Amino acid sequence: MIEVSGLTKCYGPVEAVRDISFRVEPGEIVGFLGPNGAGKSTTMRMLTGSIPATRGKAMVAGYDVATQPLEVKRRVGYLPENVPLYPEMVVSRFLSYVAEIKDVPRGARKAEVGRVVERCGLEQMSNRVIQNLSKGFRQRVGLAQALIGNPPVLILDEPTVGLDPKQIVEIRKTIKELAEEHTVLLSTHILPEVAMLCDRVIIINRGRIAAQDTMENLSAAEGPGGERRGTLEDAFMAAVAAEENIEE
Amino acid sequence: MKNIWAVCRREFASFFVTPMGYVVVGTFALITGLGFTASFIFYARVTESPSTYAYQGVPDFEETLLSPFLVFCGMVIMFIGPLITMRLLAEERHRGTIELLLTHPLRDRDIVFGKYLASLGMLAVMMLVVAVHLCVVGYFVDVEPAVLVFGVITVFLMGAAFLSMGLFVSSLCSTQITAGTFTFGLFFVLYILGALSEDMSEENPAPPGWPEGVRGAIGFAYGIFRSLARQLPLDAHAKEMAQGVVAPHDIVYYILFAAFFLFLTFRSLESRKWRS
Repeated sequence: MIEVSGLTKCYGPVEAVRDISFRVEPGEIVGFLGPNGAGKSTTMRMLTGSIPATRGKAMVAGYDVATQPLEVKRRVGYLPENVPLYPEMVVSRFLSYVAEIKDVPRGARKAEVGRVVERCGLEQMSNRVIQNLSKGFRQRVGLAQALIGNPPVLILDEPTVGLDPKQIVEIRKTIKELAEEHTVLLSTHILPEVAMLCDRVIIINRGRIAAQDTMENLSAAEGPGGERRGTLEDAFMAAVAAEENIEE
Repeated sequence: MKNIWAVCRREFASFFVTPMGYVVVGTFALITGLGFTASFIFYARVTESPSTYAYQGVPDFEETLLSPFLVFCGMVIMFIGPLITMRLLAEERHRGTIELLLTHPLRDRDIVFGKYLASLGMLAVMMLVVAVHLCVVGYFVDVEPAVLVFGVITVFLMGAAFLSMGLFVSSLCSTQITAGTFTFGLFFVLYILGALSEDMSEENPAPPGWPEGVRGAIGFAYGIFRSLARQLPLDAHAKEMAQGVVAPHDIVYYILFAAFFLFLTFRSLESRKWRS
């Protein structure tokens, strides 16, 4: 569903993302893991067509992001890191605007907005002005926006950041449910979250892929000294450390 | 087309769910209303005793009141226009909502034309204010209705040209304040240029002692600069048009002016693809 090969993004002399390649199969829920500044958001932006790649190729839902951006954008729901919303708009009005842009037919728009509102638990809030919503509800509006038009691929950039524990649990539950019918690529730096949600993990550090494997394999693998890595945390630290050794 | 309309509607509505739209239209109504009243009173006095004001006989209504008033409305748009255009793209960038625009299935043309149409919508609301004034004129004075309609169109075209320039500047900036200030600065430079050009002599500024070739070159460059300074300012084309004198080149000028800056806005949006 998502196929990335040799993707690179340079900002002047700085290489934010260096030659990364990975695949996400249909129906999978893949965690994109890495420390802050590792290049997670940059990669996601390139996948959604928000910024162009310097080199390399990204295919989403069978379309090339660089040459057929509109086809890709029709098939991807994207929740950016800092959920961008129009603060002056009413939730339901905002969602029906998104539905219009995402080519939901006029007659079906109301039902579609109703569907995502229900899915994201926004029933009580649909007539509220976005600026008056709490952070948790704004995050849900962002998620609802990504779900409009029922796109096969969901790209969620740190969907739980800044939420309180209860909201985190709720949004994780929603994501888990979504994974049943969508292919999900999810970025985070919260390790237990990945363990709870994902089938497979891609660990990225300093713009490079440090490790990618299924949850079981990663936590079962042995470290350099022959010790068994019990948890994802160990696997993550080992991957990040190994990368740093190469650098030196 | 559908998406242009969607972007336009959202943008236009956002003017009126925030105080912005009301402030802009209100200020415009206040300033033009005062200007209208003042010039109407002045014209009434002149008509009563033309000789006191050094006129011989009652001065021409269109030339003395209508045209200056319409050009004045255009000038007010010069001051208020930056307030409309500064937010169009700069604010999307500032709030990060540009990321939504760029990741939703929208083409650049949907964004640029949608935003521009929304600002033209604001302009149309402001034209309603001008139309009210002109209805008053039509009621009290014996003027061809066509002249009045054409007057509104003139001010609209002038405003549309201002707004296209503002949209372009907004596409370059990442905050509203920079966009607004920069736009206003550009408008003002154009205006001052127009005022200065009236004093520019037609003669070649190079001293007569210089070699013929150099003089010719300087004269040529000066000639181009002079005619640009005379023709480029937006108000230069409005004066005659506002009297109901329809000259196709004036209308074409405004349309080309707007088209040029819309073209630059497209290039500016597109630059995200090659600028990192």
